Amino acid sequence: MSREFKVGLFIVCTTIAVLLALLYLSSEKGFFANVYTFTLSSKSGDGFTDGMPVVFSGFKIGQVSELELNEKGLVLIKIKIPQRHMKWIKADSTFILYRPLIGAARIVVTTNNLDSAPMPPRKIADVEIVNDINDLIKIVQPLIEKITQIAENLERISKKVDKMADKTDEQLYGKEGTLPQVNKILKNIINKLEKLDTTVDNINKISKDTSEGTKDFRMLRSDIDDAVNAMDKVVIKLDELISSKKNPEFEVP
Amino acid sequence: MSVLENIGRLEIKMFKAFTDTIMFAFKVIFRMFQRRTYSSAMRMVLLNQIYFTSVQILPLFFIVSIILGSLLVGIVFQLLKQLGLTDFFGNVLMGLIVTELSPFLTVLLITLRSSAAINTEMAVMKVNREIKTLEIFRIDIIDYLILPRIINGVISLVLLSSLFSILLLTSGILFSRLIFGMSIDVYSNIILNSANLSDIVISLIKCAIFGFFITLIPIRFGLKASQELTSIPIVVSGGMVGVFTAIIIIEVLSLITKLF
Repeated sequence: MSREFKVGLFIVCTTIAVLLALLYLSSEKGFFANVYTFTLSSKSGDGFTDGMPVVFSGFKIGQVSELELNEKGLVLIKIKIPQRHMKWIKADSTFILYRPLIGAARIVVTTNNLDSAPMPPRKIADVEIVNDINDLIKIVQPLIEKITQIAENLERISKKVDKMADKTDEQLYGKEGTLPQVNKILKNIINKLEKLDTTVDNINKISKDTSEGTKDFRMLRSDIDDAVNAMDKVVIKLDELISSKKNPEFEVP
Repeated sequence: MSVLENIGRLEIKMFKAFTDTIMFAFKVIFRMFQRRTYSSAMRMVLLNQIYFTSVQILPLFFIVSIILGSLLVGIVFQLLKQLGLTDFFGNVLMGLIVTELSPFLTVLLITLRSSAAINTEMAVMKVNREIKTLEIFRIDIIDYLILPRIINGVISLVLLSSLFSILLLTSGILFSRLIFGMSIDVYSNIILNSANLSDIVISLIKCAIFGFFITLIPIRFGLKASQELTSIPIVVSGGMVGVFTAIIIIEVLSLITKLF
Protein backbone atom coordinates (compact mmCIF):
# COMPACT_ATOMS: atom_id res chain seq x y z
CA MET A 1 0.00 0.00 0.00
CA SER A 2 1.40 3.35 -1.00
CA ARG A 3 1.61 6.29 1.38
CA GLU A 4 -0.93 8.24 -0.71
CA PHE A 5 -3.43 5.39 -0.48
CA LYS A 6 -3.07 5.13 3.31
CA VAL A 7 -3.52 8.85 3.82
CA GLY A 8 -6.49 8.93 1.42
CA LEU A 9 -8.09 5.94 3.16
CA PHE A 10 -7.63 7.52 6.57
CA ILE A 11 -9.07 10.88 5.57
CA VAL A 12 -12.00 9.42 3.61
CA CYS A 13 -12.97 6.82 6.23
CA THR A 14 -12.70 9.19 9.17
CA THR A 15 -14.51 12.00 7.37
CA ILE A 16 -17.32 9.63 6.37
CA ALA A 17 -17.59 8.34 9.96
CA VAL A 18 -17.74 11.87 11.36
CA LEU A 19 -20.24 13.06 8.74
CA LEU A 20 -22.43 9.99 9.25
CA ALA A 21 -22.39 10.55 13.00
CA LEU A 22 -23.32 14.20 12.57
CA LEU A 23 -26.05 13.37 10.04
CA TYR A 24 -27.49 10.66 12.30
CA LEU A 25 -27.44 13.03 15.24
CA SER A 26 -29.05 15.79 13.22
CA SER A 27 -31.79 13.54 11.89
CA GLU A 28 -32.46 12.00 15.32
CA LYS A 29 -32.56 15.46 16.83
CA GLY A 30 -35.20 16.33 14.26
CA PHE A 31 -32.99 18.78 12.43
CA PHE A 32 -34.42 17.72 9.06
CA ALA A 33 -37.86 16.61 10.27
CA ASN A 34 -41.06 18.63 10.33
CA VAL A 35 -41.72 20.08 13.73
CA TYR A 36 -45.25 20.73 15.02
CA THR A 37 -46.05 23.38 17.57
CA PHE A 38 -48.71 22.99 20.24
CA THR A 39 -49.83 25.56 22.77
CA LEU A 40 -50.43 24.75 26.42
CA SER A 41 -51.67 27.08 29.13
CA SER A 42 -51.01 27.51 32.80
CA LYS A 43 -52.11 29.98 35.49
CA SER A 44 -48.52 30.43 36.60
CA GLY A 45 -45.27 30.54 34.69
CA ASP A 46 -43.28 29.31 37.69
CA GLY A 47 -41.03 26.41 36.75
CA PHE A 48 -41.39 26.79 32.98
CA THR A 49 -38.25 27.57 30.99
CA ASP A 50 -37.28 27.76 27.34
CA GLY A 51 -35.85 24.45 26.14
CA MET A 52 -37.53 22.48 28.93
CA PRO A 53 -37.96 18.86 27.80
CA VAL A 54 -41.33 17.36 26.99
CA VAL A 55 -41.27 13.67 27.89
CA PHE A 56 -43.50 10.71 27.15
CA SER A 57 -42.94 7.52 29.19
CA GLY A 58 -39.58 8.91 30.30
CA PHE A 59 -38.37 9.63 26.76
CA LYS A 60 -37.84 13.15 25.47
CA ILE A 61 -40.17 13.82 22.54
CA GLY A 62 -39.93 17.59 22.29
CA GLN A 63 -39.17 20.80 24.09
CA VAL A 64 -40.61 24.12 25.17
CA SER A 65 -39.89 26.69 22.48
CA GLU A 66 -41.62 29.82 23.73
CA LEU A 67 -43.33 31.28 26.79
CA GLU A 68 -45.69 34.20 26.72
CA LEU A 69 -48.30 35.91 28.89
CA ASN A 70 -51.66 36.51 27.19
CA GLU A 71 -54.10 39.32 27.88
CA LYS A 72 -56.15 37.16 30.27
CA GLY A 73 -53.10 36.65 32.46
CA LEU A 74 -52.61 33.05 31.43
CA VAL A 75 -49.16 31.75 30.58
CA LEU A 76 -49.00 30.23 27.11
CA ILE A 77 -46.36 27.57 26.64
CA LYS A 78 -45.46 26.61 23.09
CA ILE A 79 -43.96 23.17 22.69
CA LYS A 80 -42.30 21.77 19.58
CA ILE A 81 -42.79 18.11 18.74
CA PRO A 82 -41.01 16.43 15.78
CA GLN A 83 -43.22 14.56 13.33
CA ARG A 84 -42.01 11.11 14.42
CA HIS A 85 -43.24 11.79 17.98
CA MET A 86 -46.62 13.15 16.90
CA LYS A 87 -48.16 9.70 17.47
CA TRP A 88 -47.88 10.21 21.24
CA ILE A 89 -49.82 13.50 21.29
CA LYS A 90 -53.55 12.81 21.14
CA ALA A 91 -56.71 14.81 21.81
CA ASP A 92 -57.07 13.26 25.29
CA SER A 93 -53.42 13.70 26.24
CA THR A 94 -52.73 15.35 29.56
CA PHE A 95 -49.78 17.61 30.24
CA ILE A 96 -48.19 17.81 33.66
CA LEU A 97 -45.36 20.07 34.73
CA TYR A 98 -43.30 17.83 36.96
CA ARG A 99 -40.82 19.51 39.24
CA PRO A 100 -38.90 16.78 41.00
CA LEU A 101 -37.01 17.31 44.22
CA ILE A 102 -33.77 16.40 42.44
CA GLY A 103 -33.21 16.86 38.71
CA ALA A 104 -34.56 19.14 36.03
CA ALA A 105 -38.23 20.07 35.67
CA ARG A 106 -40.08 18.63 32.65
CA ILE A 107 -43.48 18.49 31.02
CA VAL A 108 -44.81 14.93 31.16
CA VAL A 109 -47.27 13.88 28.48
CA THR A 110 -49.70 11.09 29.36
CA THR A 111 -51.94 9.53 26.72
CA ASN A 112 -54.38 6.90 27.91
CA ASN A 113 -55.71 5.92 24.51
CA LEU A 114 -53.16 5.93 21.72
CA ASP A 115 -55.88 5.15 19.19
CA SER A 116 -57.78 8.36 19.87
CA ALA A 117 -57.78 11.29 17.47
CA PRO A 118 -54.69 13.46 17.12
CA MET A 119 -54.59 16.66 19.09
CA PRO A 120 -55.87 19.60 17.02
CA PRO A 121 -53.10 22.17 16.48
CA ARG A 122 -55.28 25.05 17.72
CA LYS A 123 -56.35 23.36 20.94
CA ILE A 124 -54.88 24.90 24.07
CA ALA A 125 -54.47 22.23 26.70
CA ASP A 126 -54.07 23.01 30.39
CA VAL A 127 -50.92 22.05 32.23
CA GLU A 128 -51.25 20.58 35.70
CA ILE A 129 -48.42 21.26 38.07
CA VAL A 130 -46.89 18.56 40.23
CA ASN A 131 -44.35 20.09 42.46
CA ASP A 132 -42.33 17.64 44.49
CA ILE A 133 -40.69 20.39 46.51
CA ASN A 134 -43.94 22.14 47.47
CA ASP A 135 -45.72 18.83 48.07
CA LEU A 136 -42.87 17.75 50.26
CA ILE A 137 -43.00 21.04 52.14
CA LYS A 138 -46.77 20.58 52.66
CA ILE A 139 -46.20 17.08 54.02
CA VAL A 140 -43.24 18.07 56.11
CA GLN A 141 -44.68 21.30 57.59
CA PRO A 142 -47.00 19.63 60.21
CA LEU A 143 -44.14 17.29 61.06
CA ILE A 144 -41.86 20.27 61.58
CA GLU A 145 -44.47 21.90 63.86
CA LYS A 146 -44.71 18.68 65.90
CA ILE A 147 -40.96 18.43 66.06
CA THR A 148 -40.83 22.05 67.28
CA GLN A 149 -43.35 21.24 70.02
CA ILE A 150 -41.37 18.18 71.00
CA ALA A 151 -38.24 20.31 71.11
CA GLU A 152 -39.97 22.87 73.35
CA ASN A 153 -41.20 20.09 75.66
CA LEU A 154 -37.73 18.62 75.74
CA GLU A 155 -36.36 22.01 76.70
CA ARG A 156 -38.85 22.30 79.59
CA ILE A 157 -38.05 18.77 80.72
CA SER A 158 -34.34 19.49 80.53
CA LYS A 159 -34.82 22.63 82.70
CA LYS A 160 -36.72 20.55 85.28
CA VAL A 161 -34.05 17.88 85.15
CA ASP A 162 -31.46 20.61 85.69
CA LYS A 163 -33.27 21.88 88.80
CA MET A 164 -33.66 18.32 90.11
CA ALA A 165 -30.00 17.72 89.46
CA ASP A 166 -29.12 20.86 91.44
CA LYS A 167 -31.22 19.70 94.39
CA THR A 168 -29.79 16.23 94.21
CA ASP A 169 -26.31 17.75 94.14
CA GLU A 170 -27.05 19.67 97.31
CA GLN A 171 -28.50 16.63 99.02
CA LEU A 172 -25.62 14.45 97.98
CA TYR A 173 -22.62 16.79 98.05
CA GLY A 174 -23.81 19.63 100.36
CA LYS A 175 -22.36 20.18 103.84
CA GLU A 176 -25.25 18.28 105.38
CA GLY A 177 -25.49 15.99 102.31
CA THR A 178 -25.47 12.22 102.30
CA LEU A 179 -22.00 11.67 100.97
CA PRO A 180 -20.11 13.70 103.62
CA GLN A 181 -21.99 11.77 106.34
CA VAL A 182 -21.20 8.47 104.64
CA ASN A 183 -17.55 9.57 104.57
CA LYS A 184 -17.64 10.22 108.32
CA ILE A 185 -19.20 6.79 108.98
CA LEU A 186 -16.62 5.13 106.78
CA LYS A 187 -13.78 6.88 108.60
CA ASN A 188 -15.17 5.70 111.95
CA ILE A 189 -15.47 2.15 110.65
CA ILE A 190 -11.87 2.30 109.40
CA ASN A 191 -10.66 3.47 112.86
CA LYS A 192 -12.57 0.65 114.55
CA LEU A 193 -11.22 -1.87 112.11
CA GLU A 194 -7.68 -0.69 112.84
CA LYS A 195 -8.33 -1.33 116.54
CA LEU A 196 -9.76 -4.74 115.77
CA ASP A 197 -6.52 -5.58 113.94
CA THR A 198 -4.59 -5.77 117.25
CA THR A 199 -7.29 -8.05 118.78
CA VAL A 200 -7.11 -10.31 115.77
CA ASP A 201 -3.31 -10.47 116.17
CA ASN A 202 -3.74 -11.50 119.82
CA ILE A 203 -6.25 -14.19 118.86
CA ASN A 204 -3.79 -15.42 116.28
CA LYS A 205 -1.08 -15.70 118.93
CA ILE A 206 -3.44 -17.58 121.28
CA SER A 207 -4.41 -19.98 118.53
CA LYS A 208 -0.72 -20.58 117.77
CA ASP A 209 -0.02 -21.27 121.43
CA THR A 210 -3.05 -23.56 121.60
CA SER A 211 -1.86 -25.55 118.60
CA GLU A 212 1.58 -25.93 120.18
CA GLY A 213 -0.14 -27.05 123.47
CA THR A 214 -2.12 -29.69 121.61
CA LYS A 215 1.20 -31.11 120.38
CA ASP A 216 2.26 -31.53 124.09
CA PHE A 217 -1.10 -33.12 124.80
CA ARG A 218 -0.42 -35.73 122.14
CA MET A 219 2.94 -36.58 123.69
CA LEU A 220 1.34 -36.73 127.16
CA ARG A 221 -1.41 -38.94 125.84
CA SER A 222 1.08 -41.32 124.26
CA ASP A 223 2.94 -41.48 127.62
CA ILE A 224 -0.37 -42.18 129.42
CA ASP A 225 -1.17 -44.80 126.76
CA ASP A 226 2.20 -46.48 127.45
CA ALA A 227 1.58 -46.38 131.20
CA VAL A 228 -1.92 -47.82 130.80
CA ASN A 229 -0.58 -50.56 128.54
CA ALA A 230 2.07 -51.44 131.16
CA MET A 231 -0.63 -51.49 133.81
CA ASP A 232 -2.72 -53.79 131.61
CA LYS A 233 0.20 -56.18 131.30
CA VAL A 234 0.76 -56.11 135.08
CA VAL A 235 -2.95 -56.79 135.68
CA ILE A 236 -2.87 -59.69 133.21
CA LYS A 237 0.14 -61.18 134.97
CA LEU A 238 -1.55 -60.71 138.35
CA ASP A 239 -4.63 -62.51 137.05
CA GLU A 240 -2.49 -65.36 135.89
CA LEU A 241 -0.77 -65.57 139.23
CA ILE A 242 -4.05 -65.51 141.19
CA SER A 243 -5.67 -68.22 139.12
CA SER A 244 -2.66 -70.64 139.40
CA LYS A 245 -2.39 -70.55 143.30
CA LYS A 246 -4.52 -72.63 145.67
CA ASN A 247 -4.80 -69.85 148.06
CA PRO A 248 -5.69 -66.94 146.03
CA GLU A 249 -4.07 -64.68 148.48
CA PHE A 250 -1.27 -62.58 147.52
CA GLU A 251 0.90 -60.20 149.10
CA VAL A 252 1.13 -56.78 147.89
CA PRO A 253 4.74 -55.96 147.19
CA MET B 1 12.46 51.36 39.55
CA SER B 2 14.47 48.50 38.08
CA VAL B 3 11.82 46.00 39.19
CA LEU B 4 9.07 48.02 37.54
CA GLU B 5 11.22 48.44 34.45
CA ASN B 6 11.73 44.69 34.31
CA ILE B 7 7.99 44.05 34.67
CA GLY B 8 7.24 46.62 31.97
CA ARG B 9 9.89 45.18 29.67
CA LEU B 10 8.47 41.68 30.20
CA GLU B 11 4.94 42.86 29.48
CA ILE B 12 6.02 44.63 26.30
CA LYS B 13 7.93 41.52 25.23
CA MET B 14 4.94 39.25 25.88
CA PHE B 15 2.55 41.60 24.13
CA LYS B 16 4.89 41.84 21.13
CA ALA B 17 5.22 38.03 20.99
CA PHE B 18 1.44 37.69 21.16
CA THR B 19 0.78 40.26 18.44
CA ASP B 20 3.55 38.75 16.29
CA THR B 21 1.93 35.32 16.60
CA ILE B 22 -1.51 36.70 15.73
CA MET B 23 -0.10 38.62 12.74
CA PHE B 24 1.74 35.52 11.60
CA ALA B 25 -1.47 33.52 12.00
CA PHE B 26 -3.42 35.99 9.86
CA LYS B 27 -0.70 35.87 7.21
CA VAL B 28 -0.88 32.06 7.16
CA ILE B 29 -4.71 32.05 7.07
CA PHE B 30 -4.64 34.53 4.18
CA ARG B 31 -2.26 32.27 2.25
CA MET B 32 -4.36 29.25 3.14
CA PHE B 33 -7.22 30.55 1.03
CA GLN B 34 -5.11 31.36 -2.01
CA ARG B 35 -5.38 28.82 -4.78
CA ARG B 36 -1.80 29.16 -6.00
CA THR B 37 -0.56 28.04 -2.58
CA TYR B 38 -1.58 24.47 -3.32
CA SER B 39 1.18 23.53 -5.72
CA SER B 40 2.09 19.89 -6.35
CA ALA B 41 5.15 20.19 -4.10
CA MET B 42 3.04 21.64 -1.31
CA ARG B 43 0.44 18.87 -1.69
CA MET B 44 3.19 16.26 -1.50
CA VAL B 45 4.54 17.78 1.71
CA LEU B 46 1.00 17.98 3.10
CA LEU B 47 0.39 14.32 2.28
CA ASN B 48 3.64 13.31 3.98
CA GLN B 49 2.81 15.43 7.02
CA ILE B 50 -0.64 13.84 7.38
CA TYR B 51 0.97 10.44 7.00
CA PHE B 52 3.53 11.14 9.73
CA THR B 53 1.12 12.87 12.09
CA SER B 54 -2.06 10.84 11.72
CA VAL B 55 -1.63 7.59 9.79
CA GLN B 56 1.65 6.49 11.34
CA ILE B 57 0.36 7.19 14.82
CA LEU B 58 -2.98 5.37 14.28
CA PRO B 59 -2.14 2.00 15.94
CA LEU B 60 -0.70 3.74 19.00
CA PHE B 61 -3.57 6.22 18.98
CA PHE B 62 -6.14 3.41 18.87
CA ILE B 63 -4.48 1.59 21.79
CA VAL B 64 -4.15 4.76 23.88
CA SER B 65 -7.71 5.84 23.05
CA ILE B 66 -9.21 2.48 23.95
CA ILE B 67 -7.26 2.11 27.21
CA LEU B 68 -7.61 5.74 28.32
CA GLY B 69 -11.17 6.10 27.06
CA SER B 70 -12.36 2.87 28.69
CA LEU B 71 -10.73 3.83 31.96
CA LEU B 72 -12.24 7.28 31.85
CA VAL B 73 -15.72 6.07 30.93
CA GLY B 74 -15.57 3.22 33.46
CA ILE B 75 -14.47 5.48 36.32
CA VAL B 76 -17.01 8.19 35.50
CA PHE B 77 -19.88 5.69 35.18
CA GLN B 78 -18.93 3.96 38.42
CA LEU B 79 -18.74 7.31 40.19
CA LEU B 80 -22.12 8.39 38.84
CA LYS B 81 -23.65 5.12 40.02
CA GLN B 82 -22.18 5.52 43.50
CA LEU B 83 -23.43 9.09 43.74
CA GLY B 84 -26.89 8.11 42.47
CA LEU B 85 -26.57 10.39 39.47
CA THR B 86 -27.39 7.76 36.86
CA ASP B 87 -29.84 10.15 35.17
CA PHE B 88 -27.01 12.49 34.31
CA PHE B 89 -24.66 9.99 32.72
CA GLY B 90 -25.65 11.05 29.18
CA ASN B 91 -24.89 14.70 29.95
CA VAL B 92 -21.58 13.78 31.56
CA LEU B 93 -20.59 11.50 28.69
CA MET B 94 -21.46 14.00 25.96
CA GLY B 95 -20.84 17.28 27.72
CA LEU B 96 -17.67 16.43 29.55
CA ILE B 97 -15.98 13.42 28.02
CA VAL B 98 -16.83 13.72 24.31
CA THR B 99 -16.85 17.48 23.80
CA GLU B 100 -14.22 18.47 26.36
CA LEU B 101 -11.87 15.65 27.26
CA SER B 102 -11.43 13.98 23.87
CA PRO B 103 -10.19 17.16 22.10
CA PHE B 104 -7.98 17.90 25.10
CA LEU B 105 -6.43 14.42 25.26
CA THR B 106 -5.98 14.33 21.48
CA VAL B 107 -4.27 17.71 21.41
CA LEU B 108 -1.97 16.60 24.21
CA LEU B 109 -1.02 13.44 22.31
CA ILE B 110 -0.40 15.31 19.05
CA THR B 111 1.48 18.12 20.80
CA LEU B 112 3.81 15.71 22.52
CA ARG B 113 4.47 13.78 19.35
CA SER B 114 4.29 16.25 16.47
CA SER B 115 4.64 19.80 17.79
CA ALA B 116 7.96 19.04 19.43
CA ALA B 117 9.14 17.37 16.20
CA ILE B 118 8.04 20.32 14.03
CA ASN B 119 9.70 22.79 16.40
CA THR B 120 12.99 20.91 16.31
CA GLU B 121 12.81 20.35 12.56
CA MET B 122 12.36 24.07 11.90
CA ALA B 123 15.12 25.03 14.31
CA VAL B 124 17.55 22.54 12.76
CA MET B 125 16.65 23.74 9.26
CA LYS B 126 17.33 27.30 10.36
CA VAL B 127 20.68 26.39 11.95
CA ASN B 128 21.74 24.39 8.89
CA ARG B 129 20.70 27.34 6.69
CA GLU B 130 18.32 25.13 4.74
CA ILE B 131 15.67 27.85 4.97
CA LYS B 132 18.11 30.40 3.56
CA THR B 133 18.84 27.96 0.73
CA LEU B 134 15.12 27.61 -0.04
CA GLU B 135 14.79 31.37 -0.11
CA ILE B 136 17.79 31.63 -2.47
CA PHE B 137 16.03 29.17 -4.78
CA ARG B 138 12.94 31.41 -4.46
CA ILE B 139 10.89 28.69 -2.87
CA ASP B 140 8.22 30.24 -0.66
CA ILE B 141 8.75 28.81 2.83
CA ILE B 142 5.18 29.62 3.88
CA ASP B 143 3.79 27.57 0.99
CA TYR B 144 6.34 24.81 1.10
CA LEU B 145 7.17 24.46 4.79
CA ILE B 146 4.65 26.20 6.99
CA LEU B 147 1.21 25.77 5.42
CA PRO B 148 1.38 21.98 4.88
CA ARG B 149 2.26 21.50 8.53
CA ILE B 150 -0.47 23.82 9.76
CA ILE B 151 -3.17 22.36 7.48
CA ASN B 152 -2.01 18.91 8.57
CA GLY B 153 -2.39 20.01 12.20
CA VAL B 154 -5.95 21.18 11.59
CA ILE B 155 -7.02 18.07 9.64
CA SER B 156 -5.30 15.62 12.01
CA LEU B 157 -6.66 17.17 15.17
CA VAL B 158 -10.24 17.28 13.88
CA LEU B 159 -10.17 13.71 12.56
CA LEU B 160 -8.27 12.14 15.44
CA SER B 161 -10.39 13.87 18.04
CA SER B 162 -13.53 12.64 16.27
CA LEU B 163 -12.09 9.13 16.21
CA PHE B 164 -11.32 9.40 19.91
CA SER B 165 -14.91 10.45 20.59
CA ILE B 166 -16.30 7.57 18.49
CA LEU B 167 -14.10 5.08 20.38
CA LEU B 168 -15.20 6.57 23.70
CA LEU B 169 -18.86 6.29 22.79
CA THR B 170 -18.30 2.69 21.66
CA SER B 171 -16.63 1.78 24.94
CA GLY B 172 -19.53 3.58 26.64
CA ILE B 173 -21.89 0.91 25.20
CA LEU B 174 -19.87 -1.80 26.95
CA PHE B 175 -19.58 0.01 30.27
CA SER B 176 -23.21 1.14 30.36
CA ARG B 177 -24.18 -2.53 29.92
CA LEU B 178 -21.72 -3.76 32.56
CA ILE B 179 -22.32 -1.04 35.18
CA PHE B 180 -25.93 0.02 34.62
CA GLY B 181 -27.24 -3.07 32.78
CA MET B 182 -28.37 -0.74 30.01
CA SER B 183 -29.33 -1.93 26.52
CA ILE B 184 -27.87 -0.34 23.37
CA ASP B 185 -31.26 1.22 22.52
CA VAL B 186 -31.56 2.96 25.86
CA TYR B 187 -27.90 3.99 25.74
CA SER B 188 -28.19 5.50 22.27
CA ASN B 189 -31.43 7.25 23.21
CA ILE B 190 -29.79 8.83 26.27
CA ILE B 191 -26.76 9.87 24.23
CA LEU B 192 -28.98 11.39 21.54
CA ASN B 193 -30.99 13.30 24.10
CA SER B 194 -27.85 14.60 25.79
CA ALA B 195 -26.01 15.46 22.57
CA ASN B 196 -26.12 19.07 21.63
CA LEU B 197 -25.29 19.79 18.00
CA SER B 198 -23.95 23.27 18.76
CA ASP B 199 -21.61 21.84 21.42
CA ILE B 200 -20.28 19.31 18.92
CA VAL B 201 -19.73 22.00 16.30
CA ILE B 202 -17.93 24.16 18.88
CA SER B 203 -15.85 21.15 19.84
CA LEU B 204 -14.87 20.55 16.17
CA ILE B 205 -14.01 24.23 15.70
CA LYS B 206 -11.97 24.10 18.88
CA CYS B 207 -10.07 21.08 17.51
CA ALA B 208 -9.33 23.00 14.30
CA ILE B 209 -8.04 25.98 16.31
CA PHE B 210 -5.98 23.63 18.48
CA GLY B 211 -4.50 22.06 15.35
CA PHE B 212 -3.73 25.46 13.89
CA PHE B 213 -1.90 26.80 16.91
CA ILE B 214 -0.07 23.67 18.02
CA THR B 215 1.72 23.71 14.65
CA LEU B 216 1.95 27.45 14.09
CA ILE B 217 3.61 28.26 17.43
CA PRO B 218 6.37 25.60 17.16
CA ILE B 219 7.08 26.72 13.57
CA ARG B 220 7.33 30.35 14.66
CA PHE B 221 9.63 29.50 17.55
CA GLY B 222 11.69 27.15 15.37
CA LEU B 223 12.26 29.93 12.85
CA LYS B 224 13.53 32.15 15.67
CA ALA B 225 16.65 29.95 16.09
CA SER B 226 19.99 31.64 15.44
CA GLN B 227 22.85 30.09 13.45
CA GLU B 228 24.16 28.30 16.54
CA LEU B 229 23.30 24.75 17.56
CA THR B 230 22.86 25.83 21.17
CA SER B 231 19.84 27.92 20.19
CA ILE B 232 17.87 24.76 19.24
CA PRO B 233 16.93 23.59 22.77
CA ILE B 234 16.09 27.17 23.75
CA VAL B 235 13.60 27.68 20.91
CA VAL B 236 12.16 24.17 21.31
CA SER B 237 11.45 24.65 25.02
CA GLY B 238 10.08 28.13 24.36
CA GLY B 239 7.87 26.78 21.60
CA MET B 240 6.48 24.00 23.78
CA VAL B 241 5.70 26.41 26.60
CA GLY B 242 3.96 28.62 24.03
CA VAL B 243 1.95 25.65 22.73
CA PHE B 244 0.73 24.66 26.19
CA THR B 245 -0.16 28.26 26.98
CA ALA B 246 -2.15 28.42 23.74
CA ILE B 247 -3.96 25.18 24.61
CA ILE B 248 -5.03 26.58 27.97
CA ILE B 249 -6.14 29.89 26.43
CA ILE B 250 -8.19 28.11 23.74
CA GLU B 251 -9.82 25.84 26.36
CA VAL B 252 -10.81 28.84 28.46
CA LEU B 253 -12.13 30.71 25.42
CA SER B 254 -14.20 27.70 24.32
CA LEU B 255 -15.71 27.42 27.80
CA ILE B 256 -16.59 31.11 27.71
CA THR B 257 -18.15 30.63 24.25
CA LYS B 258 -20.33 27.81 25.61
CA LEU B 259 -21.62 30.07 28.37
CA PHE B 260 -23.23 32.31 25.80
